[in-house]
Amino acid sequence: MINKDLNKYSSHFSRYTELRMQENRNNHISMVNGDVMGNSISSSSGVSSRVYNDGNWGFSSSPDLSDSAIEYVVKNASDNVMFMNKRNKEQCGFILPDISGHHEVDLSTNCVRNDQRQWIDFLSNIDDYIANKYSFLSSRTVVLSGLDMEKSLLTSAGSTSYSMTPRGIMYISLTMDNNGEPVDLMDVFGGLGQLEDHFLDPSHFYNDIDILVEHLQKKSNGVYADAGMKDVILDADLAGILAHEAIGHTTEADLVLGGSVAGEFMGEQVASELVTLVDYANTINNQVCPVPVYIDDEGTPSTDTVIIEDGSLKSFMHNKDSARHFNTTPTGNARAYAFSDEPLIRMRNTAIQPGKSTLKEMISSIDDGYYLMKSSNGQADSTSEFMFGVPLGYEIKGGKLGNAIKDTTISGVAFDVLKTIDMISSDMTWSAGGMCGKKQWIPVGMGGPAIKCKVNIGGR
Amino acid sequence: MQDKDIPDYCIEQLIKAGADKAQCVYSSGEKKELNVDAGEFSLFRTNANHGVSIMAIKDQKKGSLSINKIAKDDIDQSIKTVLKMAESSMQDESYDISEYQEAESFSKGNKEPALNTMYDRMEEFMDYSANTFPTTIIEQAILDFSSGTSYYRNSNGVSFDESEGSYSFSVMFTSKEGKDISSFNSAGFSSLDIDLALHEGGSINRLLEESAAHVRTKAVPNKFTGDIIVTPDCIMSFMGFILGNLSDFRLIAGTSLFRELMNQQIVHNSLSIHSKPLSDNLSGGYFVTSDGYKAEDLTIIKNGTLQTFLLSLYGSKKTGLERVPNSGGSLIIDTGETPLEDMIKSVDKGVLLSRFSGGSPSDNGDFSGVAKNSFYIENGNLKYPISETMVSGNIINMFQNIKHISKEEVNFGDEIFPWIQFEGITVS
Repeated sequence: MINKDLNKYSSHFSRYTELRMQENRNNHISMVNGDVMGNSISSSSGVSSRVYNDGNWGFSSSPDLSDSAIEYVVKNASDNVMFMNKRNKEQCGFILPDISGHHEVDLSTNCVRNDQRQWIDFLSNIDDYIANKYSFLSSRTVVLSGLDMEKSLLTSAGSTSYSMTPRGIMYISLTMDNNGEPVDLMDVFGGLGQLEDHFLDPSHFYNDIDILVEHLQKKSNGVYADAGMKDVILDADLAGILAHEAIGHTTEADLVLGGSVAGEFMGEQVASELVTLVDYANTINNQVCPVPVYIDDEGTPSTDTVIIEDGSLKSFMHNKDSARHFNTTPTGNARAYAFSDEPLIRMRNTAIQPGKSTLKEMISSIDDGYYLMKSSNGQADSTSEFMFGVPLGYEIKGGKLGNAIKDTTISGVAFDVLKTIDMISSDMTWSAGGMCGKKQWIPVGMGGPAIKCKVNIGGR
Repeated sequence: MQDKDIPDYCIEQLIKAGADKAQCVYSSGEKKELNVDAGEFSLFRTNANHGVSIMAIKDQKKGSLSINKIAKDDIDQSIKTVLKMAESSMQDESYDISEYQEAESFSKGNKEPALNTMYDRMEEFMDYSANTFPTTIIEQAILDFSSGTSYYRNSNGVSFDESEGSYSFSVMFTSKEGKDISSFNSAGFSSLDIDLALHEGGSINRLLEESAAHVRTKAVPNKFTGDIIVTPDCIMSFMGFILGNLSDFRLIAGTSLFRELMNQQIVHNSLSIHSKPLSDNLSGGYFVTSDGYKAEDLTIIKNGTLQTFLLSLYGSKKTGLERVPNSGGSLIIDTGETPLEDMIKSVDKGVLLSRFSGGSPSDNGDFSGVAKNSFYIENGNLKYPISETMVSGNIINMFQNIKHISKEEVNFGDEIFPWIQFEGITVS
């Protein structure tokens, strides 16, 4: 538990200053073919301060949480910005928006906490179920991973916040042989909350395992996708990564300043009128999002950022400095992963808003195309050109699902693809374990409805 | 308690409390980092940190823990916790620690950075890129100096001390003319000193030049099967799959494609790959492996033949195969005989692949993905920069069909790679 109230350190502030105390706690257990390969816990805690002056930042961090160490960290951050100001005088006079807020949220579990033995027993039970029922599998990997991020913040602008935001995840990866060649498939379970909030009874996952194995068996007999531009349905997993990677990143204001294509499109029609794409701060339809952010790590109250509204590009995501540059309001997107990291403009929970169609209607509407269900990884570009790995999908022939397909990739230019969307499903699903890398790794929420669009699919 | 005494204290307490075997590493370090964002100096960051990693084995059950609090109470609590974790786990005869070796101390690089020189170098780089490549935006540039010390100890009496300090530079950039925008690209290198202008490190200057040429691109004229020349910047996008099949996870899980192929030819006989953490040609590298052995240089593949798996102590015991005497990385691929210019001339239809944005390969090595920051080659000439172009094939087949390896190479500080020409790749 870190110190929630940092007010007593405000006397050390002499310029615009942020002071953050943070602890990240991880629990990781991995089991491969019934053997415990990893059984580890870790914690990393410390304090950091960031000081702004004349367009430059100074930052300092220390693992020492004593009063004297905190005083030193604030002074060192101030010294660092003075070093920058001395060498770089081109940004004199820049002043950050004066904005503040207060919030306290603790999303710790209300369940009795498990010990390590109980988690290993949980994984053993899952592994035994798979091994006993599906003895033809050549490899089984089951992983439990918990992350607690606990932060408190004080800024010279008057913001105070405390948050304990946990994530509990289980990965199951299965492999079978097909004529001597391995074929694999993975699924991820869990999300916001500690491990106890998701993984108390292993039998709750037996049906999910059965479904995973069924998909794997179909995939092992799968066909290569027919390469080229196709009508496809991207299920929530892929629609979410499209929203995050291919559109979201291009509309982070720091990347706009770095030359992203979205800088040219503000106010223009960039998508079908069916598309409204939002980076949700913390709540959608009265449901807490996977990565709720109420006050960001610069002390700005977080608000939903409507990036695309009815197909038109409306807003970028901002921190205080980019908001100063664009003469707009910060959106509360400044987030840091570790105590030793500076806040960067990061997405929170990014998704296309649900539409009115059903998945069944969407599949029926395609004569020759694909239903693409999962993503393995994704990369996108400043041009919005993207590539996503697709480890699970099915042909659609004559409005009906057909053969499973082998691993493939899809690609396209996102702002072109969005214009081809002509159906959006009415449901909404968040992926369990979204992570985003941009100098630092950080948990993000990705998901959405299923969308029907045209993309380039890779074949053999 | 002095910091250096923490690992010895942990080992002593763990054994006293009932552990059969124990390992502990204390490390401390500092990073000083200069940042440029969107072409402007933005941030100067200093991070101090320290931490203790403890591993205990009791009744052939194992627990691991790491913390960055080093007060005696925190360490005593961690010792209790890690023992309880071990007791809670499952038995595995393969858990072990390294056997006794002579105590040694290793050091490399400086302890303190030349801070003003760092700023000067960054300023010089920004001026150089602005003047030489005026259409290129430096999205982010980071120059840091990291220094640290670590003390490895285990209950078999192993005692290694390491200290090092090195510089690292990375840059991400996009080029823009009016509304025409290139794909972003990134480059970097590490070094023990800061004597070199930053744009001269690794392949930074070449990639900046290519970025400026990439603001206007088009797709390849049609689908074809041809050659790809993979640049040193991009080769790990494919070689990672080869190395993954030689490492702990796949060999233990039984999904490695090379399990039965030791001392057999697995790739084309022109390819030799080494892992040399002690090489004087690399500023990166390390002296001690993560499982407590003094690191050694080794050859992974010699003239296409597999020389060693990349198994840790645990992986070795689990599979019954030989342990690798280092922790991998620090890779060097031997150069070939063909100048890059002649490699390009030898291509009828193909792609010079500078960056690959691909999905994770299938377990059998099938891959497909988008060619980024790349050029179309026709009749031996670089024709034009491409976009929306996919390349696909099978990584095993690809490495068995190497046509040429370049005479030229790029030293990134952590690894040294040449250009490699592969044939039989589908481009669409």
